[in-house]
Amino acid sequence: MISRRKFIAQSLATVAAGSALTHLSSCDGKKIITGSTNGPNAALGHRLRNLTDQHPRKQIKKDVVIVGGGIAGLSAARILKKNNVDFTLLELEQHAGGNSSFRTNTLSAYPLGAHYLPLPNLDNHPLLDFLQEVGVITHYEKEIPQFNEHYLCFDPKERLYINEHWQEGLIPQNGVPSSDQQQIIRFLEQMEMWRHKLGRDQKYAFNIPVAESSSDSEILALDQISMDAWLKANQFTSTYLNWYVNYCCLDDFGSSTQHTSAWAGLHYFASRKGGKGFHLNHDAVLTWPEGNGWLMNRLREPVATHIQSQCLVTKVQIQNQKVSVVYFNELENQFEEIIAPKVIMATPQFINRYLLGDAARTDYGAFEYAPWMVANLTVNADLLEKRGEPLSWDNVVYGSNSLGYVNAMHQHLTSASPKKVITYYKPLSDYPYTASRQQLQKQTWENWLPLILEDLKRPHPQLKEHLEEVAVWHWGHGMISPKPGFMAGDVRRMAQSPIADKIFFAHSDLSGISIFEEAFYWGTKVANEMVSAS
Amino acid sequence: MTDRARGQVPLLLIAAFVVATCGLIYELVAGTLASYLLGDSVTQFSTIIGTYLFSMGIGSYLSKYFKGNLIAWFIRIEILVGLVGGFSSCILYVLFEQLPYFRLLLYVLVSLTGILVGLEIPLLMRILQDRLKFKDLVSKVFTVDYIGALLASIVFPMVLIPYLGILRTSLLFGIFNVLVAGYLCFYFQKELIKSVFLKLYAAIAMVVLLIGFIVADQIIRFAEIQAYQDTILYAKSSPYQRIILTKSPSDMRLYLNGNLQFSSLDEYRYHESLVHPGLASLPNAKRVLILGGGDGLALREVLKYPQIESVTLVDLDPAMTSLFQSNAMLVKLNQSSLLSDKVTVINEDAFRWLHSTQAQFDFVIVDFPDPSNYSIGKLYTNSFYKSLSKVITPKGCAVVQSTSPFVARKSFWIINETIRSTGFQTKPYHCYIPSFGEWGFLLIWKNEFHPATTYPPGLRFINAEVFQQLTHFPPDMVEAHSEVNYLHNQALVNTFEKEWQEYTH
Repeated sequence: MISRRKFIAQSLATVAAGSALTHLSSCDGKKIITGSTNGPNAALGHRLRNLTDQHPRKQIKKDVVIVGGGIAGLSAARILKKNNVDFTLLELEQHAGGNSSFRTNTLSAYPLGAHYLPLPNLDNHPLLDFLQEVGVITHYEKEIPQFNEHYLCFDPKERLYINEHWQEGLIPQNGVPSSDQQQIIRFLEQMEMWRHKLGRDQKYAFNIPVAESSSDSEILALDQISMDAWLKANQFTSTYLNWYVNYCCLDDFGSSTQHTSAWAGLHYFASRKGGKGFHLNHDAVLTWPEGNGWLMNRLREPVATHIQSQCLVTKVQIQNQKVSVVYFNELENQFEEIIAPKVIMATPQFINRYLLGDAARTDYGAFEYAPWMVANLTVNADLLEKRGEPLSWDNVVYGSNSLGYVNAMHQHLTSASPKKVITYYKPLSDYPYTASRQQLQKQTWENWLPLILEDLKRPHPQLKEHLEEVAVWHWGHGMISPKPGFMAGDVRRMAQSPIADKIFFAHSDLSGISIFEEAFYWGTKVANEMVSAS
Repeated sequence: MTDRARGQVPLLLIAAFVVATCGLIYELVAGTLASYLLGDSVTQFSTIIGTYLFSMGIGSYLSKYFKGNLIAWFIRIEILVGLVGGFSSCILYVLFEQLPYFRLLLYVLVSLTGILVGLEIPLLMRILQDRLKFKDLVSKVFTVDYIGALLASIVFPMVLIPYLGILRTSLLFGIFNVLVAGYLCFYFQKELIKSVFLKLYAAIAMVVLLIGFIVADQIIRFAEIQAYQDTILYAKSSPYQRIILTKSPSDMRLYLNGNLQFSSLDEYRYHESLVHPGLASLPNAKRVLILGGGDGLALREVLKYPQIESVTLVDLDPAMTSLFQSNAMLVKLNQSSLLSDKVTVINEDAFRWLHSTQAQFDFVIVDFPDPSNYSIGKLYTNSFYKSLSKVITPKGCAVVQSTSPFVARKSFWIINETIRSTGFQTKPYHCYIPSFGEWGFLLIWKNEFHPATTYPPGLRFINAEVFQQLTHFPPDMVEAHSEVNYLHNQALVNTFEKEWQEYTH
């Protein structure tokens, strides 16, 4: 395990390396494509390198400090704000948001990461309440939430490029042999069974939040094997089906079926109990041009005055019955300290292990994170379309190891413009992730461009000619990886428990699944407990 | 037999192979183009293949009359095949709209290509007869012939049509034919008497085919313009659509993306029916909104009401509104409506504008293109009508152009159902417009509607009595069970597509 000193030194090095927004361009002949590579941690500048004196120049007192401004931190802030608690949220980046961050160009807002929220289950009351608060749910009819139509994903939703044809939906069908189709049907029937299955404790086998799932040991035993092994054990041999399930694991976890727990894999298919709401299919989703950045902004706006951005927290420790949080304030160019009775660590565990120093108390090595690359492509003409379904919200290429692309402008109410921003997602799922991460750090914009073009060449052979800009975003620690053994193991539970009733933990990696609902769950739960205790 | 003659065998067999591949490609090109232009692919393919094979038989028969230097003859025919076969698709494409007897041209071209191709193999066999034993000759020539055919039949649908398109495919194989001819010219220099002329012919044919290959896109564009019956007055691609205006002595027509928008002969039927039943029922109406309708023709009808104080017209495409503000013939047609002081033209997306406006209107005309794609489909969703509801005054009403209740019956009633789901009451009606067919409208209001008893003077089609008749729906257009069109299901676009497809095929 590396020391905190070394960790800080490393962060500084990363920061320095990625500090400047690099404008790049690729020019071959007359075609010029511009763009940049960027990633989190890039905000703090060179100045930090020269600061050896970590002695805080300023000390303030607060009731609560929240470290980290992703969805978990902002959700906690929402609850504290409602209860008039005096708190500060420290955020490393210039803007809060975490995986739900977004950017805007002249055409459209576009996501840097998470881009949709499936309709919540009807028993997820805290989330439903939030959605109603911000107008996503307009009202209830016969206890069924009614969603604002502007936020439900418009038609056409999904298409898959397979056998040289765009088919509707992502489950392979076009040109798929009937024996494979039968396997796919059998698989979906099994998932339907699991969706309704209850454990011996009368809880759903799989639910969202993960904490509401059954703790029946027979069901938890699924965590001991990989999704790949589960498919084999159940005679699911079809290449098409295996590709589809692997795609789903990559989509939600960034990991392949070999490195995803079967419990987590089944959770993906069986945890959503069927979107309720009139005229909606069970796979209906909520989405916005900026992706979950829209929801993030609704969380952030009411607490904006409490957020202190560009602050790199370096140390969190208990001193004299209180918690001291030391951080480097970039705007002031100095180290500062907040003393508070309670702190919420809305940071991932790979950060906590360094911030907590001696107080760290679990096997943080078990928390592994899959790296991701997200590229937003600005295309100046209609994508040259091959046969089949028209441009949809989610567009996937069968056989590719990327996740295809999402049309960021799909939810625009205006007529389709020939210019578009499409968001291309690629998890670097090769295990171990540490190696993939190193590879990602070395990858330059110039390397990515041909890889992206190659991947999309089959459906869009002339993409390059219409490409104007490519904004590449690197997520070194993109998603917590629910590898076999992680979901039912003790490590997660230990990392969840507060320290001395003073330092609390809230992050989606505590659930083992990196989705909006889990981050929201932890932030809301921990803040509520804190409020009701005091 | 000399060694040289024996050494020429493989080359001649390669020539046979190329010739066979090209031959089948021309046949497939003709079949595909005929099904594409004339429809009914089974009939087209069947008759084209029959004609082609029969013509090849004629060619084979005629081959016996060719005497003298067979290699020279073969080269001449190769060049001719390359030109005729290579340009066959261009000729058919461009002349499709021009000729009354297009089928005749089609079969003449197919026959000509077939005869020329039919000549090739027999001539080649005769060239080879001194160089091979008969049994080897037959076996080898037919083997390469059939392999060539197989290759052609596989690459044609999988590679050539998707990547090159039909025009470039035939031109490319014309080039191959000429390449064979050219190569043979050089290779058989000694055997040929005046090889210079042959080489020259081959070179010319090559240049012509290459030019054709390069300008194939322009040919397609040219042919597209030919597809309109009358003289093209105006053609422009705006960022949103392709606008084409045509004129004949008695008629002027506007096409957007190839779809007819109006014919000056009968547009009054459409626009009078669109505007007056609603607006005549509102004697106190002051403010009118038109969504779409950049041609100013609905506006012309609106301005027949002197009490109207202001009209806001929102049309996405500035190219449309400025065309109808500046072109003398069009300004005459819309009676300078777009230049009226009462009118404000806004070039913006209607949905976005509606969403952001605070203004209120007594009467709204919704005149969008038909919901033929998902993008336009958004303008027919319940979300859109909810926004629409907010800009209509309590006593006001609106009218929505709602496609053909005859061709797209379900679509028409889906629009009706969608509008009703947002709290409007509706009065569906329809009228016959010769250039369009049977067309449908929905008059919609929130609180009250009293049918007009008086209409403005000088109308040619609509009046109170006629409107009464238009509200009756015969059984073939009567209400069908319909779902609501939401942004997240776009039920209308899917239904509309299906209904028009069934009607036109």
